[in-house]
Amino acid sequence: MDPSAVISLLLVGLARAMILFIVSAGLTFVLGVLRVPNVAHGSLYMIGAFVAFTIATAFGQSSAGFWFALILAPLVVAAVALIIERGLLSHLYQREHLMLILFTFGLMLILNDLVKLIWGAEYRSVTPPEILDGAVTLFGFNIPRYSLFLLFVGPLVAVGLWFLSNKTRLGKIARAASVDREMVGVLGINVSWVFAAAFVIGCALAGLGGALVAPTTSISLGMDLTIIIESFLIVIIGGLGNTWGALIGSILFGVSQSLGLLFFPQFAIAFPYAVVVIVLLLRPRGLLRSAW
Amino acid sequence: MVKALVEPRWLVATGVILIGLLLIPFGAPLFYIYILSVIFVTALLAMSLNLVLGYGGIYQFHHAVFYGVGAYTVALILTRTSLPWWVALLAGPFVAAATGLIIGWFCVRLTKLYFGMLQISLGSLVWIIVYRWYDVTGGDNGIHDIPMPEWLTTFQGAYYFILAVVAVCVGLMFLLIKSPFGATLQAIRDNPQRCEAIGINVRHHKLIAIVIAAFFGGVAGVLFATLERSVFPGLLFWVLSLEILVMCLLGGWFTFAGPLLGAAIVVALRTVASRYTDYWTMVLGIILILLIFFLPEGVMGFIQERAAAKRTAPHPQRVEERSGS
Amino acid sequence: MSRKIFVLFTLLALTAALLACTGAPPTSAPPTSAPATSAPATSAPQATTAPPATTASTTRPIKVGIVDTYSGPPAAFGNDALNGFKLALSEINKDGVLGSNIEFVTRDDKYQPDTALSMAKELILEEKVDVLVGTVNSAAALAISSFAKEQKVPYIVWIAKSEAITGAKGHRYVFSTSENSAMAGKAGAEALAQKPYTKYWIAGEDYEYGHAIADAAWNNLKALKPDVTKAGETWWKTGEPDLTPYLTAIMAAKPDAIIFATGGAGMTNVLKTAKAMGLSDQIPIWIHTAIDTSVLKPLGANAPEGVMGTMDYLFYYPETPENKAFVKAYQDAYGAPPGFPAFHAYNTAHFIAEAFKKAGALDKEKFIDAMEGLKIDSPTGEIEMRACDHQVVEPLFMGVTKKNPQFEFMTASDIVSVAGKDVMPSCEEVLKKRSQ
Repeated sequence: MDPSAVISLLLVGLARAMILFIVSAGLTFVLGVLRVPNVAHGSLYMIGAFVAFTIATAFGQSSAGFWFALILAPLVVAAVALIIERGLLSHLYQREHLMLILFTFGLMLILNDLVKLIWGAEYRSVTPPEILDGAVTLFGFNIPRYSLFLLFVGPLVAVGLWFLSNKTRLGKIARAASVDREMVGVLGINVSWVFAAAFVIGCALAGLGGALVAPTTSISLGMDLTIIIESFLIVIIGGLGNTWGALIGSILFGVSQSLGLLFFPQFAIAFPYAVVVIVLLLRPRGLLRSAW
Repeated sequence: MVKALVEPRWLVATGVILIGLLLIPFGAPLFYIYILSVIFVTALLAMSLNLVLGYGGIYQFHHAVFYGVGAYTVALILTRTSLPWWVALLAGPFVAAATGLIIGWFCVRLTKLYFGMLQISLGSLVWIIVYRWYDVTGGDNGIHDIPMPEWLTTFQGAYYFILAVVAVCVGLMFLLIKSPFGATLQAIRDNPQRCEAIGINVRHHKLIAIVIAAFFGGVAGVLFATLERSVFPGLLFWVLSLEILVMCLLGGWFTFAGPLLGAAIVVALRTVASRYTDYWTMVLGIILILLIFFLPEGVMGFIQERAAAKRTAPHPQRVEERSGS
Repeated sequence: MSRKIFVLFTLLALTAALLACTGAPPTSAPPTSAPATSAPATSAPQATTAPPATTASTTRPIKVGIVDTYSGPPAAFGNDALNGFKLALSEINKDGVLGSNIEFVTRDDKYQPDTALSMAKELILEEKVDVLVGTVNSAAALAISSFAKEQKVPYIVWIAKSEAITGAKGHRYVFSTSENSAMAGKAGAEALAQKPYTKYWIAGEDYEYGHAIADAAWNNLKALKPDVTKAGETWWKTGEPDLTPYLTAIMAAKPDAIIFATGGAGMTNVLKTAKAMGLSDQIPIWIHTAIDTSVLKPLGANAPEGVMGTMDYLFYYPETPENKAFVKAYQDAYGAPPGFPAFHAYNTAHFIAEAFKKAGALDKEKFIDAMEGLKIDSPTGEIEMRACDHQVVEPLFMGVTKKNPQFEFMTASDIVSVAGKDVMPSCEEVLKKRSQ
């Protein structure tokens, strides 16, 4: 196996990990602040992809259409998330934890069928913009341009999240609320709006992930189920509520699958899960600190 | 010491229902016999979950794994080896219990939500193996044409067999709940710290409960394989696990018969609704959310509350009984 | 307490209302002239009171039960088939069969074998259909086939392509109006055997159909050209959305050619990714159904050119009057050209009608006897239901994807026709497989 192939695969795996990271970061953010595992997170990702399709098609699937879709789709998903949070979720915070989880499950069922209702059952496709189409040969190895784009966007989002979390007031309050929400309330801060903001941001990330993945794959019903299980596993091995943990987890996930393809193509799909087992055996609470 | 385990009125009601169920195959259309069999199997599955969920307060989020393992054990033994059918049927629950032991051992160190998510992860790993190991488990396709003895392949034969097994299991689960072990389990659910303080090994107890629940879940899986003579990877999928949770919630997870009722309602609705609409999952989701908002005690819980309200002023002994059944 | 009762009733009422509103199937085809009824639209259940036994009475309609996928990506196939079937019924029911009409009932299996089996049970036990047809998923078809055999109800598979259906797992009560993996594999192998490629890579979706087509293609190729070698295999799960890492690994291995074994849904993904990565420009590819319109249409101009494929129906070839009439009728009714599922379903409807006419009674056993060896006219010429294994004998077409100025999507060029009997396994081979 020549080294250029290995490098290609590694980079492709990393690129895929970036999308996993963006989605998992949203999930872990919501988990950390609201302590709700949002089972519907995958559905919001799927909605992001479908909305991106609609927007891109409205612009005739042109290059400009893609960029518009990339910016607008997460906003649409954010709006949906806001409605859900204010209208339904916020009334349940004082309930049993189990109820919250089952609520998000019910939400997932509804959102899935809504997508089917609105967009129908056919496959959809988004055309990548011209500059991101095709592959380039760098230093002797082949890599799709879009993967390079993802490798650029991923760290951008990570930095953005870090900035949001550590340098903004909202971020600091959110971090405090995840540790001790009662205290935050006592300090006179409207915890309710903090939660709303956290949920919206987390879901917007899911939508962004969906919009980003749209040109690389067929947009179809069922893409929510695959992403949600992977995101959950990443969040668990990374540490609940820990964004950097999500990054590490995603990288482990994406790269292990790519490397698996090199050595054992038939079982490549099992590699990420094997990694999960190993991590959980060694550190059952995740690699990095959990919020709770 | 003759404290009645069960109020006489419930005993009579159960007896009447059982007799009714025994008589149904004489005259009911085949399809209804089949659907009732499905309801029995699903009810057993839901009740096995509630052993740990309602009575143990354990967030068992991937119970379907034990169901699937039980079913696949039967399928694999009967299609790959020439062992007799009853060996396969007996092996199923034990393999499921073993799986429960392994998964439970990892999860029991954690509590609540973390327990649940870890279980989903580990359970998904099992699912992945079943789903991707095409040569052994048939992968996506599942395993079909599982050979069963002649009398079990008729709808009536399967019905009686399943009814008998489910009735026995339900009886066993009931006795378990009423036993000292069951009482300890509920105590652990209500206040684990105090239990530790008085010397109960909480983790051990939880692990045993999980293994028992896995055992009964495995029985349900074995019955599924018997009824359908096919198994599919979907039996181990986490969405099914959440569906079982929904059944428990719908019926009332603080009651014994609640999950049974929840299972019956969901299966009946699913069968009927899928004739009229393609969006059954959305309907289920809406029902679930409405339930969470308005009927968190579940249907059975609601019935019991009304029944209790109808009685005269609350009697201390009655209150105790009510929260126990 | 009364508040809770009120809520309970509201819940039930809402559910009932939702059931009524969302009762329309996802694709609403314009009503045809036939009185054919579809279950999702009506609110009264179809109760057939006549026993399905050998009644010489011909006053009741023939009831066909369809189990197919109407949700998820394969829904495109399910809907296409249903439309083709309805189109055929509109022609058939003008004259009727045995003094009455053909009616149908549909159920959605959501591409899950267990749901498909439950639906089949309902259709046979409760709706008491005379004939069962469907489905896209090969595993579902096999599961239903077992049950149909037990219940002695004829089951016609019209999209699923695993050769096991009429091959190793075939029996008296199952038929197929679809080309199967054995035929496609052999046709593909013959095309590839003429090329100079020796080092092959096999990749595809890890399920019944994927393995069936890969095995058929490879075994036949090896028999025709013994010096071919298999450099490796890669299997991903059905519906895997991101194929970039898999294709990257394959490209790195630098095979001479690739055989992709994917179902219709995964096919679009493979082609799209192959083009995006430049793989289709570098390495020749063969995929069964690559030239199918339903695969190429969503891709538009994004489809790769030069991909070799096989198919048993193309709406633009052959340009016979029958095909043109079929395409026009379909286009007028549904606004788009028909795909192969519509073609198969259309043929199935005519097979059913002709078989019952030949049998002279609504008897399932006589129907099966009548089906064996039955020949009917189809848009691509005369086709036959082979008696020994209940597999339809029809021509296959091989071509290469190419841009076509007439359409927004690509079509096949350099089309070669292959007669069905040249690529089907012989009766002896099939019967031998069944007895193993």
